[in-house]
Amino acid sequence: MSGRINLNRVSPEVYEAVVTLNAAASKDLDPELAELIKIRASQMNHCAFCLDMHSADARKRGISEQKLTLLPAWEEAEGIFTEKEQAALALTEEMTDLTRRHVSDEVYARAAAAFSERELGQVIAMALTINAWNRIGVTTRLPLPKR
Amino acid sequence: MTTTLDNLPATRLKIYKTSPELYDAMMTLSNAAAKDIEPELGELIKIRASQINHCAFCLDMHTRDARKHGVSDQKLDVLAAWEEAGDLFTERERAALALTEAVTELGNGHVSDEVYARAAAVFTERELGQVIAMAVTINAWNRINVTIRLEPPRR
Repeated sequence: MSGRINLNRVSPEVYEAVVTLNAAASKDLDPELAELIKIRASQMNHCAFCLDMHSADARKRGISEQKLTLLPAWEEAEGIFTEKEQAALALTEEMTDLTRRHVSDEVYARAAAAFSERELGQVIAMALTINAWNRIGVTTRLPLPKR
Repeated sequence: MTTTLDNLPATRLKIYKTSPELYDAMMTLSNAAAKDIEPELGELIKIRASQINHCAFCLDMHTRDARKHGVSDQKLDVLAAWEEAGDLFTERERAALALTEAVTELGNGHVSDEVYARAAAVFTERELGQVIAMAVTINAWNRINVTIRLEPPRR
């Protein structure tokens, strides 16, 4: 037991709003790409609950074990991730790491070259939404289901 | 956030036009997070997270909002070093700021039992949920506005 609050119980409007945000961010975004964004941000933010959930979801969607294994080192894994995936992962990493640096022109331009404006907006939306879930999951220490 | 963000000069993507559902969802989240929390405390949380995340637009907006809510210049000046400022900040403010910093800096660590317990000791469960919600929400705004490089208006 974590002994921390259940946000869904004490702040249900907030929880509902994040669910709505998640639904908005998921539109017009490839579900496999979305899972990679969610897992990478959850690794950086150390959200155990989120990693457990989204790794399981990614396998259900057919993402290979190799991709999941190599995800934290995607930059070194030549030929494994598509250019869209790499561009989205680079953007996700900079958006998640705001305390250390900004979102660089280089990383932004790479994503802008790989995605339409609508897609890019949704990639950004997904990256910030999983960052919000990560903060809820870590702060309230959501308990892991036993598998 | 009362400003109409879709009319402001983002030097990158006009995300509030390309992803209008995002904007609506964020406004709903902001309104939900603002309930049952003192506006002054809400502004301190928003400014401290925006300092850590380097969001220029957010700092500009919320520093002005804080002044409108009566937060003193001294508190705003010293906010980045609140831990060194003795009793300038109340225990509720300090507990919320420590929690906000931990929530914002997930990449550098977890939200420790110590920081969590300090906040749980001064806030009701509902208040604590709303403090967490406010920290989560400003972090989301920070990520949008830094990524699209929304510029502060010239004054």
